[in-house]
Amino acid sequence: MIQNLKIKTGIILSIFLFAAAISAQVPKPVKPQFPKSETPAEKAIAVDAKVNISLCVAKGKINVNGWDRKEVRAYVSSGGSRVGFKVLKKDKDEKAVWIMVVGFDTREIGASQSEECLSGDDIELDVPRGAIVNIKSRDSETKIESVDKVRFSNVGGNVFFDNIANGIEAETKQGSITVGNSGGLIGLSTTNGNIVVFNANPSEVSDFLKVHTINGTITLQEIEHLLLDVNSFSGSIKFTGEPISGGQYNFVTQSGAIMLSIPQESSCKVNAFWRSGAFNSLIPMQNIKKTSVSGVQNLTGQIGGGEAMFNLTTSGGRIFIQKSDK
Amino acid sequence: MKNNCLDIGTIQAFLDGELDGVLMENAADHLADCDDCAISLANSEEESAIAFTALDAELNTLVPTQRLWAKINSEIEREKKPFWQTAFAFFKNPTITAFASMLIVFGLFMAYLNSQAGEKDTQLAGMTESKTVITKPILVSKSSDPIETPSENNSPINIDQPTVKSKSDFRVIKAVVTENQPIRKDERTSKIPDEVKAQPTSYQYLPGEESYIKTIATLENNVNSRKDEVLKPSERFTYEQNLAIVNDSITKMRKEVKKNPRNGAAKQILMASYQNKVDLLNSVTESNELMALR
Repeated sequence: MIQNLKIKTGIILSIFLFAAAISAQVPKPVKPQFPKSETPAEKAIAVDAKVNISLCVAKGKINVNGWDRKEVRAYVSSGGSRVGFKVLKKDKDEKAVWIMVVGFDTREIGASQSEECLSGDDIELDVPRGAIVNIKSRDSETKIESVDKVRFSNVGGNVFFDNIANGIEAETKQGSITVGNSGGLIGLSTTNGNIVVFNANPSEVSDFLKVHTINGTITLQEIEHLLLDVNSFSGSIKFTGEPISGGQYNFVTQSGAIMLSIPQESSCKVNAFWRSGAFNSLIPMQNIKKTSVSGVQNLTGQIGGGEAMFNLTTSGGRIFIQKSDK
Repeated sequence: MKNNCLDIGTIQAFLDGELDGVLMENAADHLADCDDCAISLANSEEESAIAFTALDAELNTLVPTQRLWAKINSEIEREKKPFWQTAFAFFKNPTITAFASMLIVFGLFMAYLNSQAGEKDTQLAGMTESKTVITKPILVSKSSDPIETPSENNSPINIDQPTVKSKSDFRVIKAVVTENQPIRKDERTSKIPDEVKAQPTSYQYLPGEESYIKTIATLENNVNSRKDEVLKPSERFTYEQNLAIVNDSITKMRKEVKKNPRNGAAKQILMASYQNKVDLLNSVTESNELMALR
């Protein structure tokens, strides 16, 4: 009987301890959910004229403009995320030289656990003209104008750069890139999309233009860089403008065409390689040497004084040189 | 307009690169001088560009075209046929039948010769000297020059009885030997001056080629393990299509460079193709990394 009692006591005690253990569990912390702002969110911060600005955008239409104030203003339209600033570095005068624009108000409690990326139908940033802008985005249509330098990375969406003074590095997977009236070192890359560059010039002699796409065409017009490295896997490359004296133009495509539209009085050498395709030039060339071995063709020739150099390589496309209107 | 202006057909042919060498040059010279023809050419070029842009949208679209689907369906239908039906249809072609019969006869003949020889073939590196015996070539020479065969060689050579052949009668790539004696290089070259130099047993990489190959191998391992997860079907189609194009180019150019190591144009296209393949594989690798951001 005593034994039965012991057993019953043990069972009851076990049940009691089990119930206590369940009730004593620490509740799982719940990530604070900040509701989408039903009103537009707008913030501003005083910064140095050459501030470095970083931001991440989940989804939206991004518009970055340079202005003359030493201030960064961020705006997100209604229905989007909130907006705030994190100052990452200050100079000795206590001016912010490196800031991050985030998708929450940093003054709210628990806000640091929210997603840092902005999102919204319209995201606008007004930044000093001397600012360096770094954007990482997922899906966005982007336009950046009148800043000093840009680093941009995107998964999907088109991007347009205008009046960027000292350099652009941009890549997107699905989308086109357009650059106009800009300077400095320019490096553009897209997997599926076209690239258009017009009126580009170097800030320093060593600045080069590097453009690369897998599936898409590349159009270059009025480029003053001395070194061009242009590669399109299956799209065509079209170059319009006068080659610069001493310039080196390397155009490579696997199966696309290469079209040069240059003035008749240009001064350049041409070194062309192609496998299955054709080479046509409407501009008379001198000192032509052509070799053809087992279907692989190579042609070298000179137009005018031969001061610039075109290295043109295509495996399956054609090469065409024509006179431009200028 | 001058009397000898080019007609629109000639201009279009010029644009498409279909004119012969002399006609091409004449046309180019005329176009350089004649403004009217140059305008016509520019108009044709513009029209072609519009047409190509329209076609470009179709051909470069990520969605397979109707034409491609039809091809895929016909391939599936073809595979559904029983094997014997396919084989029978193939051999019904009289040309194929004749060629296959010739191959069979030739194979039987070579088997007969080999059985008569009763000797093992040796590798060229381990080739030893046969003082007087030079046998019938077994492999076709890869050089562009035709192989000279002995004038009396309408009948098979009797290998059991060594015969002295004239040194200039034929060129030998591979020889069957009867005695195991090491050859000295000068003896070999002096006794058989017309012998075609053997192809190198290992392919000599171009400068930088080996690192390209290693990089491509690493990237391919990475891509092949993840491409089904990373790429949508339409993207996968485009990727495989591009990969096939660049692999074809690499294979052909490697073969050309191996055959003619001095072909600078082939080297240039080979290196460009390697770089294109690296860029293509990188584009998939980067897509894989960025998938996490979506």
